Amino acid sequence: MDYALQQLLNALAFGAEYSLVALGLAVVFSIMGLVNFAHGEIIGVSAYSVFLAAALGLTSPFVAVLLAVAAAALAAIAFERVAFRPVRYAPTTTGLLTAFGVSIVVQNLFMLLISPKPQSVSILNGLNQMWFFGAFAVSSLQVMELIVSGLTILALVLFLNRSTLGLAIRAASRDFATVRLMGIKANRVIATAFAISGALAGIAAVFIIARRGSVSPDLGFSLVLKAFVACVIGGFGSLAGAAAGGMLLGFIEVGLLVALPQEYGGFKDALTYVIIVALLVYRPEGLLGQRVELGDKEI
Amino acid sequence: MSQTIENTAPTAVVVARPGSALTRSLIGGLVTSLPVLMVGLLILNFAPTYYTYLALGAFVNLIVVVGLQVFMGNSNIANLGHSAFVGLGAYGVAILSTPLAMKKLSIPNAPFGFATLQLDPVSSALIALIMVGIVAAVSGKVISRLSGVAATIVSLALLIIVHSVFLNWTNLFKGNQAFFGIPKVVGLPWMMVFSVVVIVLARLFKDSRWGLQLRASAQSPQAAAALGIDARGLRLMSWVLSALICGLAGVLYAYFAGTISPKLFYFQMIFNTLAMLILGGMATVTGAVTGVIVLSVGLEFIRSIESGVTIAGIQLPQLLGLSGVALGVVIVLCMAFRPSGISGRYEIDELLSRFFRRNAK
Repeated sequence: MDYALQQLLNALAFGAEYSLVALGLAVVFSIMGLVNFAHGEIIGVSAYSVFLAAALGLTSPFVAVLLAVAAAALAAIAFERVAFRPVRYAPTTTGLLTAFGVSIVVQNLFMLLISPKPQSVSILNGLNQMWFFGAFAVSSLQVMELIVSGLTILALVLFLNRSTLGLAIRAASRDFATVRLMGIKANRVIATAFAISGALAGIAAVFIIARRGSVSPDLGFSLVLKAFVACVIGGFGSLAGAAAGGMLLGFIEVGLLVALPQEYGGFKDALTYVIIVALLVYRPEGLLGQRVELGDKEI
Repeated sequence: MSQTIENTAPTAVVVARPGSALTRSLIGGLVTSLPVLMVGLLILNFAPTYYTYLALGAFVNLIVVVGLQVFMGNSNIANLGHSAFVGLGAYGVAILSTPLAMKKLSIPNAPFGFATLQLDPVSSALIALIMVGIVAAVSGKVISRLSGVAATIVSLALLIIVHSVFLNWTNLFKGNQAFFGIPKVVGLPWMMVFSVVVIVLARLFKDSRWGLQLRASAQSPQAAAALGIDARGLRLMSWVLSALICGLAGVLYAYFAGTISPKLFYFQMIFNTLAMLILGGMATVTGAVTGVIVLSVGLEFIRSIESGVTIAGIQLPQLLGLSGVALGVVIVLCMAFRPSGISGRYEIDELLSRFFRRNAK
């Protein structure tokens, strides 16, 4: 019983983390059609700024969390201004390859300016403790991850549904040209979308640093690969799809880990992707995506 | 699209003489491979061993990039998984052709009797390519059903699946360790021959009826579908052809290096070859060749700085990651200022013939 509960919590926590990152991708994709490969490097910038702050003598974990989120939001806005604005109206492939380029540059800058090796950061280790509820022992980090992700997603939904800017963002994801005709500034909508996507990445970064206790140049890369997969199985561009896809991916991964015998554990990644691809054969447009009719925009 | 209209319009006679279009793209392919042949011959005759080794690596990249162009250039879907096929080709010949004595050391527990099997290099290569073709056909079935981003992400998933199998099926692939003892049977001459063959093949495919239809369906899916073009089938066809060319690159790599390891066929190779194709221009075979030549030379230069160099008596520190930054900057700048790459929309022979025609008037 204890074991089953523990694995359920594992799956929920992993799923929550994938959902956070996948939502960040989906917010940007739904508005400007950009497949932001550099999202992992936003997590990286966030993590490295916490590392640098800690190295300069910052000791408060609370400030570190704020710094992580702020740095990520600023990095996202900066990437958009420098790299993605010139390709804003270009085809999807151009944007995707630009983001790929940004990702390579930033990863290698971490290597060049700081170190190719992982660097330890202990400032957020306090978040990772064991909590005891009678006979149950749960990791505080996982519980917090689940709660914080839930609250963040709730806040995002409220923002998108209740605020004017949120309305503008939702409208822009349907028809950007008309939104501009209504007098909404394109730059503001896109900058807000990037800031939101960055803040989501920053929250994910906090949990990553707390769990690993170190930062490395390729920190966000593999996580973002998973988030892409979450977006694709949910239906690219659909926010609900991204969140659901993330959760599903968390459950598939933990399920495989439980089901596979120890010596085949290494095949977890391969099998996860095989399952994903099989899902796509069944529903090419994703679980919550819409079937594109001829005459509609190609996704 | 407009290039074909411009090209065929003044020489409408072409339609009446079947075969001459084929000859023209054959000649075009040979013209495109001329600079490659010249570079190869120069290195073969004058360069020291170190440069020969570098050139072999560059030729492998050339074949990979041309293979990538066959799919990406014609279908306009970004492929981030092609190095999986390079790896499959290389591991295929490694497992089949490595001498038994070596196998006893490296993979004594290989399943399916591979530990006691040794084939000659040519049949090993053929079997490896058939395996690559099968994997390509299966994965292509999925890719061709999808379009745009989803197809790209599935190609990425393929890369991760294949890499994960290389790492974890230790009895067959040796896991993270290097696989050694593959017979070194390929030198620069063979590499040049295959490069030319592959360049001509890519050009023939691009100019063929299928290539034209595929490019049309990439530009306007609805219009192409309305004309009865089977975009899925064509995407599958170009995916398999592209995979086979990449697989061939892997086979040749294994046969000249003699040692391979999984990390060679992962993101690093994707970064390098993709940057080459983008810089040169993915719409043309000329672009693929141009990108490889320019970036191979450029990256070698940066690598010499990266390892720490002495300029005017001052020793610069090691700058790990510099070549990566340069690659990324090349991609970003290219996408912002010249998304069609150096060569743009026209093949070199098309540019030359336009140039001469204009001067003749």
